[in-house]
Amino acid sequence: MRDNDYQDQREPARAGMEMDSTVVTSASSHIHREINELYGHEQAVRHLGSLLTNLGEKSLYDAVAQCNRCGYCETSCPTYSITGRETISPRGRNQFMRMLVEGRAKNTASAEESLSTCMLCGACSTACYAKVPTADIVLEGRRALKGYGDNFFARAAVGLMLNAQWLFDLWLKLAYLAKRSGLPRLAAKMGLYDFVGMPGLAEAEHAVPKVPLRFAAELLRSDPALKPGGKSSVGWAYFAPCGPNYIFTGVALATVRVLSRFCGEGVFIDNQCCGLMAHNYGRLEDAREFARRNISRYEELKALLGDFPVIADCSSCAAFMKSYEQLFTADPLWRDRARAFSGAVRDILEFITPEQTAAAAGDQAAGGGRVTYHDSCRACHGQGIRREPREILRQLSGSRYVELPESDWCCGGAGAYAFTQPGISKQVLDRKLRNIASVQAETVVAGGTSCLIQINAGLKAAYPSAKAVHYSVFIDEMTRDKKQPDRVPPPASV
Amino acid sequence: MFKRNRILAIKPVLEAIVGPENVRTDEAEILMYSYDAGMARARPEAVINFTDASQVAPTVKALYAAGIPFLPRLAGTNLSGGTVPLKGGAILNLARLKKIHQIDTAAHVALVEPGLVNLDLQKALEPFGLFYAPDPASQKVSTIGGNIGENAGGPLCLKYGVTANNVEKLEVVTPEGEVKIWSHRDPGPDLMSLIIGSEGTLGIVTRAWLKLRPIPPHIKTAAVAFTSLDAAMKAVTRIIKEGIVPRALEAMDKVSLDASLEGKANPFPDGTAAALIVELDGSDAGAVKKELETVERICAAESCAVFRVASDEAERDLLWQARKGAYPAMARLAPDVLVEDGVVPRPRLPEALRETREILSKYKLTAGLLFHAGDGNLHPNILFDRRDLQEVKRVKKAGYEILKACIKLGGTISGEHGIGVEKRVAMNWLYGPGELAFFRSIKNAFDPKDLANPDKILPVAADKPSETSGLAERASLSPEARTIIDELRLRSMRGAPTAVTCLGTRLKPETIAEGAARLDLRQLSGAAVIDADNLTARAEAGLPMEEFLKQLKDAGFHLDLPETGGSVGGAIASACPGLREILLGLEIARSDGSLLDLGGRTVKNVAGYDAVRLFCGSMGAYGVILAATFSISAGPRRGREHAGLPAPVTFKPDSYHTRLKNALDPENLLNPWIYRNK
Repeated sequence: MRDNDYQDQREPARAGMEMDSTVVTSASSHIHREINELYGHEQAVRHLGSLLTNLGEKSLYDAVAQCNRCGYCETSCPTYSITGRETISPRGRNQFMRMLVEGRAKNTASAEESLSTCMLCGACSTACYAKVPTADIVLEGRRALKGYGDNFFARAAVGLMLNAQWLFDLWLKLAYLAKRSGLPRLAAKMGLYDFVGMPGLAEAEHAVPKVPLRFAAELLRSDPALKPGGKSSVGWAYFAPCGPNYIFTGVALATVRVLSRFCGEGVFIDNQCCGLMAHNYGRLEDAREFARRNISRYEELKALLGDFPVIADCSSCAAFMKSYEQLFTADPLWRDRARAFSGAVRDILEFITPEQTAAAAGDQAAGGGRVTYHDSCRACHGQGIRREPREILRQLSGSRYVELPESDWCCGGAGAYAFTQPGISKQVLDRKLRNIASVQAETVVAGGTSCLIQINAGLKAAYPSAKAVHYSVFIDEMTRDKKQPDRVPPPASV
Repeated sequence: MFKRNRILAIKPVLEAIVGPENVRTDEAEILMYSYDAGMARARPEAVINFTDASQVAPTVKALYAAGIPFLPRLAGTNLSGGTVPLKGGAILNLARLKKIHQIDTAAHVALVEPGLVNLDLQKALEPFGLFYAPDPASQKVSTIGGNIGENAGGPLCLKYGVTANNVEKLEVVTPEGEVKIWSHRDPGPDLMSLIIGSEGTLGIVTRAWLKLRPIPPHIKTAAVAFTSLDAAMKAVTRIIKEGIVPRALEAMDKVSLDASLEGKANPFPDGTAAALIVELDGSDAGAVKKELETVERICAAESCAVFRVASDEAERDLLWQARKGAYPAMARLAPDVLVEDGVVPRPRLPEALRETREILSKYKLTAGLLFHAGDGNLHPNILFDRRDLQEVKRVKKAGYEILKACIKLGGTISGEHGIGVEKRVAMNWLYGPGELAFFRSIKNAFDPKDLANPDKILPVAADKPSETSGLAERASLSPEARTIIDELRLRSMRGAPTAVTCLGTRLKPETIAEGAARLDLRQLSGAAVIDADNLTARAEAGLPMEEFLKQLKDAGFHLDLPETGGSVGGAIASACPGLREILLGLEIARSDGSLLDLGGRTVKNVAGYDAVRLFCGSMGAYGVILAATFSISAGPRRGREHAGLPAPVTFKPDSYHTRLKNALDPENLLNPWIYRNK
C-alpha cells in the first residue's frame, strides 16, 4: 500500500479531505518539527547560506514553500511547453525540491532529470507573483546531487581559469589553432575544449565561424587609453565577460568603442571570469573566489577613481554579478562588499541612453532589412531589462524595427544547455526561429553571447538570410562616423 | 507491492500503444503527479504521456480490462484535488494533445484537442475577430480539456455562459474505452452535458467542438472604487436588476487589489475597500454608452469614490491583470491558499459576505475576497502555511463553514472549480441521499468497475453524512404534485407502465404503446413563482408555456427563448432549442415515486453531474418532471422569432442512453416504448 502513503499515513481509511499535513518544519514557523537535510553540514560551504528572494531573505525550504502550486508559471517554461510533463516544469522542480527537503522524495538522484533539464532562464520567476527563484532553487538542488561539479573536466577547467589563467588561454588558443588549420575535429577529439570547460565550442564550430587568436583582454590591456593611470574619475569601467573575451572579441571592442563614443573616458577593469561558469558547473566555492577577486579589483580601482559603473556586455555575466551578494549570505565580511560591487554593475543594454545616441543616430535605413530584438533571458528575466534597448533600436533603425513575437522565449542556448540537452534545446530554438521568420527580420539583436551562438547556428541552417548580432556591434555600426576612424580599430578576426 | 505489479503486467501493452518512453513508473514522475493546485496528495503508479489522441481509447481499454484506475490530467491547476489519483493507478497526461484541428469561421466552431491552452485558442481566434467565451482567470495555463472537466466559468460567463454553454460537441472515450461523439443537439437525453463538469469520472474528452462568437465591436471597461464592499455588492444587484447584462461584473477587496497590483500603477485611490470591474459590450456604440451611463448612475447612488472608464487597451489590460492575477498573487502573502467557490443567489451576496467575514474572524484567518459578483459566485482566498498544522485545521473548518453558509442562503458549494475530493463531504450537506444515489447510479452506468477517477465528486462512506435531510425533503410540493407521486408509487409497486403526458402537444395518443397508462400532469399548473431580485422563476410542469410567459410579462420579465407552445414540462422533455441555456433547476419524480431536487436557483452550479441538462430531451423516460426553475431576464422581450415545434425526430437511443435508462428506471415503467428494443 505504499503508493498512497501520504493519505494512508494520516487516515487509515479513505477519508474526508486529504489536507496535506506531513510533519515538517520552517524557520519562520513557531512549531518545531524535523526537516530533512539535503546535505551534511560539512558540505555547507558548497551551498548558499540563504536565498535572496523578492520577498526577503529566505532559507531554501521557505523559498520553495512560497510556491503555492497555482501553476501560472507552467506555460512560460519552454521545457514544459514542449514536453507537457510536470516533471520538467517550474512547479514540478520547486515541488521536487520541497519533497527532497521534507524527505518525501527519498532519492536525490531521482531529481536528476527534473533539475538538469532546467535552462535557468527564469521565465517562471517573471510569471510568478511571489517571484519564487526557481533557477536558484534548481542550482541548489543540482549542488545536492552526488558528484555534481566534481567531474574531472569541470574541475580542470575552473581550476585552470582560477589558478593559471595564462595556461587556460594558451590551451584555448591551441584548440583554436587546430580549428583554424582545418582540423576542427582534431581539436574536439583531443578534448581541448573539454579541458577548458567549453565542450560547447566543439559542437558549436559551425556557429562560431571564426575564432580569435588574440583575446579581447589582451588587446584592451595594452590600450593606453583604457588604463587608470593619470585619471581621477571615469564614466565607466569595462568588464570583459568570457564570451566577448574568448569568442566574440569583436563584441568587446565594439562595446568599448560605443562606451568611448557616448560615455566619456573609461577604463578596462582587467577582470577575471565573473564566476558564472564555475557557479553553473556546481563549484560554488570557486565561483566565490572569482567573485572575491573581481570585487577586490573593483575596490582597488574605486580607491583610485571614485565611483564608476562596471559595464558588462554579456547579460548572463551582468545578471550574475548583480547577484554576487547571494554567494556571500553566510559570510558577513564579504556580503557588504559584494552588495556594493553588484550595485555598480550595469548591462550595456541598459547603460546607453537614447539621449546619448541621439546626435549620432544617422541614416535609419542604412543596412536595409528589418531589425528585431531578442530578449536574452538573463537580461529580461534576470535583470528586468526590456524597455531600454528597444528605445535605442527604435531610434537607430526607425521603421525597420519590428517587435519579435515571444521575444522573451528562451533561444535554447542557455550556456552549455544546447550541448547537454540537444533534443529539448533544438525544439526551443525552432520556436524562436519560427518567430524570427514570422516578422521577416534580417537582423536579430541580442545581448547574450550564448544567444548569439545558438540563434546564429539555427538561422544558418533554417533562415540563412538573417543573422544575430550583438547589441554593441549593432549600435557601433549604426553610429559610427564613417569619415573619422575610431581609435579602437575594428578587429580583424571577427 | 501487488499494486505495482498490476501496472507491470500490462506495461508491454501500454508501451506498444504510446511508446516505451511515454509509460513512466519511475519515482520522479510518480511524485510529480501526486499533487495539483489543491491540498490533496496521493501517488499514481504510472504516468502515461500521449502524443496522439488516437492512443487514448486503446490505453483506457487496456487499463479498464486490467482493473487499474486512471484519470486524465492536463495543466493540473484545478483547486479541488480533482486530478489527484486517490486509488493510485495511471495518470493519463493529455498535455501534449494541443492541436487546433479547425477553425470554422462561417459556422463559428473550433475543433480542438483537450491539451490546448485556453489563451492559445483565444490568440488563434483573434485574427478572425472571434473569441471563445469561457475565460477562467487561469486561462494562460489551463486547458480546454480541463475547462470541460470542471465546467469552468470566468468573468465573461455572466453574459456568455459557462463552458457547458459554449461546447457544441465532444468526442469522448468512455471508461470502458469506447469512442463516442455526443452533441447537445443529438435527439434524446443530453449526454454531452453530462460529460462537462464530470471531472474525468465519466469519460475522457479527446476532441471538442467549441462555440465561437464574434468579438463585439464596442467594449467599455470601467473600474469603480468603493469605500465599502457592501456598497459595491448593492451596486451589483441594482445593475443586474436594471436589465443590464454586463460582459463581466467582478468585485475585489483591498487585500486582493493590493496583492495583484504590487509593482504596477494602482488606478484606485487610497481608502479603496473594494473595486468593481464592469465591462459592457455590444454592436451598437450608443446602446453601450447608454448602459455605461446607467451603471455610473447606479454606482454614484451607492456613493462610489471613483468611476473610471479605461481610456485605452493598456488601461483595460491592467484592470484585467489585476483581476486575473488576484489568486496567483496570494502567493506573495502566504505559502498556501485555499480558494473557496461558493455560490449564492445574487441578492444574498451581502449576507454571504457578512457570514464569510464572521467565519474568517472567528478562525483568525486572513483572506483576499474575490467575486464573480454578477453570478453570485464568491472566492474567498484564505491564506495559510500548511506547515502550521493548527492553522490548516482552522482553514479547513472555515472553508466548510463558508460552504454551509452558502447552502443556507439557497446557494451551492461550487460554481466553477468542481468538487474533486476536497468538497466531496460537502455534497452531503447540499444533497439528500436520494440525489446522491441518483448521481451514483449515473456513475455506475458509465463506469461499472469504478475505475475512472474513482472517489471523486460523490461522498464515500467515510464522509460523514449531514444530519439534515436533502433539498427534496425541504422542497414545498403542491398537493397536485403529491398526488402524482402517490400515483407513481402505486404503479411502481404493481409494475404498471406509465405514459407521461400533459397537454398532448408532443406525445400523441397513437404513440403510446405497451399498454402504458397515462399520467396526466395537466393539473400541475400553479402560478409561477418569480424571484424578481434573483431573476429566477419556478414553474410547475403542467403550466402551459404561453401562460408562463404571460405571467412573466405581467411581472415585467421574459424568458430568453423562442416561443414553443406546449407545457413547461413538455418543452424540457423534448429539449426545445435554447432551453438548456436558461434552465437552472428541476424537481423530478422517479419511476418509483422518489423525489429528486436537481440544480438550484443559481446561474453557476457544478456540484454533482449536470443532470438538469440530462433531462432535457429525456422524453419522460428517465423521470417525471414536476417543476423547473429558469433564469429570467428583466424587461420586455427583444424581438425573438417563434420557433414552433421542432420537427419530430426519430430517436435511436445510444447504448449509454440505454444504460442510463436501466440505471434510472430499471423496470422500464416510464414511457416504456422508447427503450423497448434494449
